[in-house]
Amino acid sequence: MIGFDLLELTDTQQMIVESTRAVVPGDGSLDRVRGLRFAAPGFDRAMMAVVAENGWPLLRVAESDGGLGLGVTEWCTLMRVLGAALVPEPVLSTVLAGALLGAALPDTVLAGETVLVTAWQDRDNGLDWTGGACAEGLTGAKRHVPGVAGADLFAVVTGQGLAVVPRDAGGLTIAQAETLDGGASGTLSFDATPAAFLPLPDVPALLDEATLAQSAYLLGISERALQITLDYLKVREQFGKPIGSFQALQHRATEMTVQLDLLRAAIFATARRIDAGASALQRMRDVSRCKRRAADLALHVAGEAVQMHGAMGITDEADIGLFVRKAMVEANILGSARVHRARFVSLLEEAAA
Amino acid sequence: MTATIDYNALSDDAFRAMVREFVETRYPEGVPRFAQHRVHWDEVKPWYFVQSAKGWICPTWPQEFGGMGLNAAKHLILIEEYERFGCARVNDIGPVMLGPLLIRHGTPEQQAHYLPRILSGQDVWAQGYSEPGAGSDLAAVRCSAERVGDEWVINGQKTWCTLGMDANWIFILARTDKSVKKQAGISFLLVPMDAPGVTVRPIRNLEMLEEFAEVFLDDVRVPADHIVGPVNGGWTVAKALLGHERVFIGAPRLSASALSRLKAMAQRTGAWDDPVFRDTYAGLQCDLHDLADLFETYVERLKTGAPIGADVASLKIFQSELYQRIAGVMMEVTGEESGHSHPFPGDSRQHAAGAWLAARPTTIFGGSTEIMRNMLAKAVLGLPG
Repeated sequence: MIGFDLLELTDTQQMIVESTRAVVPGDGSLDRVRGLRFAAPGFDRAMMAVVAENGWPLLRVAESDGGLGLGVTEWCTLMRVLGAALVPEPVLSTVLAGALLGAALPDTVLAGETVLVTAWQDRDNGLDWTGGACAEGLTGAKRHVPGVAGADLFAVVTGQGLAVVPRDAGGLTIAQAETLDGGASGTLSFDATPAAFLPLPDVPALLDEATLAQSAYLLGISERALQITLDYLKVREQFGKPIGSFQALQHRATEMTVQLDLLRAAIFATARRIDAGASALQRMRDVSRCKRRAADLALHVAGEAVQMHGAMGITDEADIGLFVRKAMVEANILGSARVHRARFVSLLEEAAA
Repeated sequence: MTATIDYNALSDDAFRAMVREFVETRYPEGVPRFAQHRVHWDEVKPWYFVQSAKGWICPTWPQEFGGMGLNAAKHLILIEEYERFGCARVNDIGPVMLGPLLIRHGTPEQQAHYLPRILSGQDVWAQGYSEPGAGSDLAAVRCSAERVGDEWVINGQKTWCTLGMDANWIFILARTDKSVKKQAGISFLLVPMDAPGVTVRPIRNLEMLEEFAEVFLDDVRVPADHIVGPVNGGWTVAKALLGHERVFIGAPRLSASALSRLKAMAQRTGAWDDPVFRDTYAGLQCDLHDLADLFETYVERLKTGAPIGADVASLKIFQSELYQRIAGVMMEVTGEESGHSHPFPGDSRQHAAGAWLAARPTTIFGGSTEIMRNMLAKAVLGLPG
């Protein structure tokens, strides 16, 4: 695949890539992904048991807490591969829950018996996460919870602490909405839901890590979408030659490559800096610029891919459409390009210091 | 002898301190600092001679040829420190282009003759590749060299020779066989500028500066041994120069410097407090940092000796286009003043139009953006020709 040769994978990252083979078909088939669309829960719960078997929920849990103790770089490596395969299971949200809970990660999740996702978001297209706690436990709402239709447990993030609540918890109502990729996300509304709060880890740092991992997922989507488009440009003939021989299309294709090269370099440089202990300011600036480019680029590549596929590009039958609809969902998760540009602007003066 | 120091064995910090001390104590009075344009030989030569005396004028040459033998990472530190101090760029075609080419393809006699003269500053070289009819299609050169007795007789025209009017020697690509495929009939020749029949004419650019020259060659005769590499092997010789240089062309320093100038302009004009400007500025800064991260991946590859592929074109394309976008924002931030010839006589760094014009050639020279994209499309994306 384009780009993998540009990055030297460490042994651990190579191991991560290997471990995706149980989830990602070696032949690149998208049949499973296509088959899971628009039927609850929008992903395969059995596959989440494979995810648990791979130890991914423990990826960002410290070894001293029984985790794998791997870095953000490995998380990004994983998400990039999953993005390229459009894996619909809520892996990112589960890894985030593991990173938040650490040693408190429920055994049933590790055994692959239950599916755990994170509920952190207070408002639409925002990064606020501190709401939700009250004297009785949980109140208010957590928005855009991924994999909501197939989740058994929610790791709820509030300013008072973390709470793990089952989907049948008292006072919890769940409103689900179908998403363009054929999955569902939901809003959890709490009404004095009983909760035992666990102490808060560095939530802003972990949400930033998740945002970077989400950028890597988008990178994977965009890289594969470009690859599929290039394959089409090489075989589709008009005027007696492959349309990929036309310079107008070649130059548009190279713009996507240029942007992908930048995004790939930025994401993995940022991951390495975070793993090496970057300051909060550096982390926020770097993550925001990565997410900004990842989101913009995913939609840019999606649009170009459709155009270059011509009328085939606007059919549901063509696989490229799966990437387009996925990109449209994922681009705005964990903050749109606008949200992250605004955050970057707000940090300008500090950055200048 | 400074030449025996193993600079690469020094820590980065120690080497950086050494470079910093050198420029701060030895940069000559009167040579411009932070020049926004190329400085001619008469003005810049004291700085050339200072580096020459220190043994530092050819940082990348192996030490046995009189260079510093720097690896890419150390070379970058040297460049960064020179940039930080605002050192003027010297006439560097001998040190940067011809020297490495002779070290790779020259005869021992050519190396012994020409390299010391570059090191000392006795010879200042110009590059004679492009012609009016051979730009992006460089292999279409028509300037001809005919073997007559013990001499080459050269006829033709070369153009876009950077600081060509300062040079006393020029290397050229000349057609030595018209009967074969165009790349296969080109030779690499060395021509003294004072040879009878050589005429140099400066070209005034859009900035009203004379940074280029065109060179006319009418029945110019040079000895037969003034050829580098085999007869008709000049294309291979010339192409060997590309590669590592492309990484340095893509370095973020031009855009970084432009962005800091944009900020200064915005603070002066009040645009800095405008949220619309802030959004634009933040976007450019994101782009600059992404570029720096991409640049680092190539520096890493240079460090480990990994090959630099055609994908490096991404770096050059984005760097040059970013520089132009920043210059474009300078024009809107400074308003009408940017249309004036000399809005800041004392400080050309505040002049938006200067940056806008200076940014133009970056997408044209060293392989135009369009040629870079053709290269990416074919060599990296595998699209059909």
